[in-house]
Amino acid sequence: MGPEDLLLLVLMTALTIYALFGGADFGAGVWEFTSAGQSTEKERRHIYKAIGPVWEANHVWLIFVLVILMNGFPLAFAALSRALWVPLLLAMVGIVFRGASYAFRYYSRGSRTELKTWEALFAIASTATPFFLGASGGAIASGTLPIDANGAFRGDFLTGWMTPLAIFTGFYEVGLCAYLAAIFLAREAAAIDDPELAPLWRRRALSTGLWMGLLSASGLVVVWLEAPGLHAGFMSRGWPLVALSLLGGIGSLVELGRSNYLRASLAAATAVTAVVWGWGVAQYPLLVPPSIDKDMAKAPDNVLWMMLLVSTIGAGLLLPSLAYLFILFKSSQALEEVESTTRLKGGGESASHSTA
Amino acid sequence: MDGTAFLGAAAENLLPARLQMAVTLGAHIILASLGVGLPVLMLAAEWRYLRTGNRHWYVLTKRWSKAFAVMFPIGAVSGTVLSFELGLLWPEFMGRWGSVIGMPFTMEGFAFFLEAIFAGIYLYGWDRLSARAHWYIGWPIAIAGFFSAFFVVTANSWMNVPSGFQLVDGTLKNVDPLAAMFNPATGAQVTHMILAAYLVTGFVVAAFYARQLLKDAHNDYARRALSLSLWIALPLAPVQLIIGDWSAKVVAETQPVKLAAMEGLYETTAQAPLHLGGWPNDQAKQLDYAIALPGVLSWLAYGDPNAVVLGLEEFPPEEVPPVAIVHIAFQIMVAIGTAMVLLALWGGIAYVRKGSWPRSRAFLWAIWWMGPCSVAALEAGWIVTEVGRQPWIVQGYMKTAEAVTEAPGIWPVFAITIFIYLALGVATVLVLRHMASVPVEEVQDGS
Repeated sequence: MGPEDLLLLVLMTALTIYALFGGADFGAGVWEFTSAGQSTEKERRHIYKAIGPVWEANHVWLIFVLVILMNGFPLAFAALSRALWVPLLLAMVGIVFRGASYAFRYYSRGSRTELKTWEALFAIASTATPFFLGASGGAIASGTLPIDANGAFRGDFLTGWMTPLAIFTGFYEVGLCAYLAAIFLAREAAAIDDPELAPLWRRRALSTGLWMGLLSASGLVVVWLEAPGLHAGFMSRGWPLVALSLLGGIGSLVELGRSNYLRASLAAATAVTAVVWGWGVAQYPLLVPPSIDKDMAKAPDNVLWMMLLVSTIGAGLLLPSLAYLFILFKSSQALEEVESTTRLKGGGESASHSTA
Repeated sequence: MDGTAFLGAAAENLLPARLQMAVTLGAHIILASLGVGLPVLMLAAEWRYLRTGNRHWYVLTKRWSKAFAVMFPIGAVSGTVLSFELGLLWPEFMGRWGSVIGMPFTMEGFAFFLEAIFAGIYLYGWDRLSARAHWYIGWPIAIAGFFSAFFVVTANSWMNVPSGFQLVDGTLKNVDPLAAMFNPATGAQVTHMILAAYLVTGFVVAAFYARQLLKDAHNDYARRALSLSLWIALPLAPVQLIIGDWSAKVVAETQPVKLAAMEGLYETTAQAPLHLGGWPNDQAKQLDYAIALPGVLSWLAYGDPNAVVLGLEEFPPEEVPPVAIVHIAFQIMVAIGTAMVLLALWGGIAYVRKGSWPRSRAFLWAIWWMGPCSVAALEAGWIVTEVGRQPWIVQGYMKTAEAVTEAPGIWPVFAITIFIYLALGVATVLVLRHMASVPVEEVQDGS
């Protein structure tokens, strides 16, 4: 196991955490998007509150994924930047609108229309971003991107990424985000013992979970038909993780049925983690199948070792800080207090929001 | 796709890709500078509050942190855009040099993450922490912000003076990421940029309150805010003059063609003059309408008024940057920097004589003007660095034209980007103005 393998573990860890925490954040926006027009003010507030003060941190994980690729596997980073020109560009636009509209929505003192605009932008961007990031992952996983061993892209920049698996994964990723968010929001609603929100989110989580089970099963069929390389990887190495993700998914549904939300969220997190790692393990050692593997893409060993050192020191600073952040704001109760004290007062709609 | 088609696509993409990078970086540099500087102001105001118990300082801290809270996420997404764009627009650059230049980006990832975490705790933690603990929690934001800027600028300084690797038959050998980060340009460029971030923050904030004082001279709250922000801005102005001189000396040594373009010096000259103003005339190969101070450039660049300074004529025409842009941007930066030093003198003399910053309307007017001017100086300095390096993306090793993507549609992407960034800029200003419009007296618990 060389330093590049250790670094790939770091990369996969960052990707997993982003899929879980960033995913749940995106999912909250997906719910706002899909329930637009039906949901009450109270439901929306519940969504926004759950994202709360940690939202910023959840999205920095993506930057780690990018810089680890850029620094540790520059050839793969360049190749993917070329091949995924369209989906990455669109994901980037989504990230801009999501971050900006959340901040504006939170701090704006403007009119109701203005708030509504930001909410709508937030909802659309929260749905589009995971779609295009998921599609990018799916395009890689298809193993058919026309990329040379030197990283040159031979396909069509506009349509080359549009494999059936990419489109499927886009939708699948949006579904995963929605599922994670629904469980999380159900748990939050149960924690504050809300008689309307708790059953609503339990119902939403259950139905999303069932749909995701169906989608996962059909996803395996898509992989079998469209990505023979990935399928072979699943059969030879990835199958324990595929099994684990199915078990996690079923487990989360069972626990949702029993209204045990903590266990349900842990099971769902296990399922998502197993999906991400199942993909990685099945594809290993290829970074950009079919042409670029880890040995071709990797930076010199001393660079990789230094990245590992930097990551270790960085993690030593990050993890305690992050733990402190989460502990400080862990309960819904705490967030309620924070909401009532930090939101702007005395002006227009935002004030009536905070007391609604 | 054959070779000529490849070159054709890349050549067409060069201009829109550079403009795209210029707009997104030009917007990010403002937000990032405020992200580095505002935490220091917040900490200073909160410290004053802890020391004096004066309510105004508390309100000020809360308001500045609110402004920070709005701009920080916008800066975060505009930074994320840049990390995407490095690959999307310049895949050759990243694919070729990622292993050499990537390390500071990795480090910056951690520094930025720490900044985000502690910003979250600081902004939402007013009632969950003791007053003193809350103040301490602000420190990591300022420190991490400093290091974020430090790391990112080391990457840029490497593009100016590439080091820490060898090129053997076109293959990278002996990559040393630390030597790449700490190259000969790093010290001066990093210091210059971080000081610029503090200066811009100080002057922009000061300008806002100077405007309020021009409307109402008896606004004690604005008086305090102005005084504090001037304490950051004015003392650093002369320091920046010295660092700027250091920076120019490093450029003279490492990128002589950039220095020649900055000065509009076409001919190699002993006792080279320092040019004030002037319009580069590329046809006649001379600088029109400039005031020349003989020997001063030689002295500034090499410490000897008789030293020979290389002119643009020494370099192949295809390796000379656009002289007009670089020279004019440099003149703008230097002029504004000089004005800052004069303001610092004005303020400093008054402070020594009367024990407070000048209260005259003229001084307030000057400060008010310096707010937008300091941002202009920031952008101008960045244009000097970037345009002055052209046609290279990695000085001497890779041309910008070789680095650009072959992907289609960059002009439309650029047009959409301008639209999005304008909209976000307007929205940011509107939200901030709304926030600032709450009268201080009505503020109950400091929001």
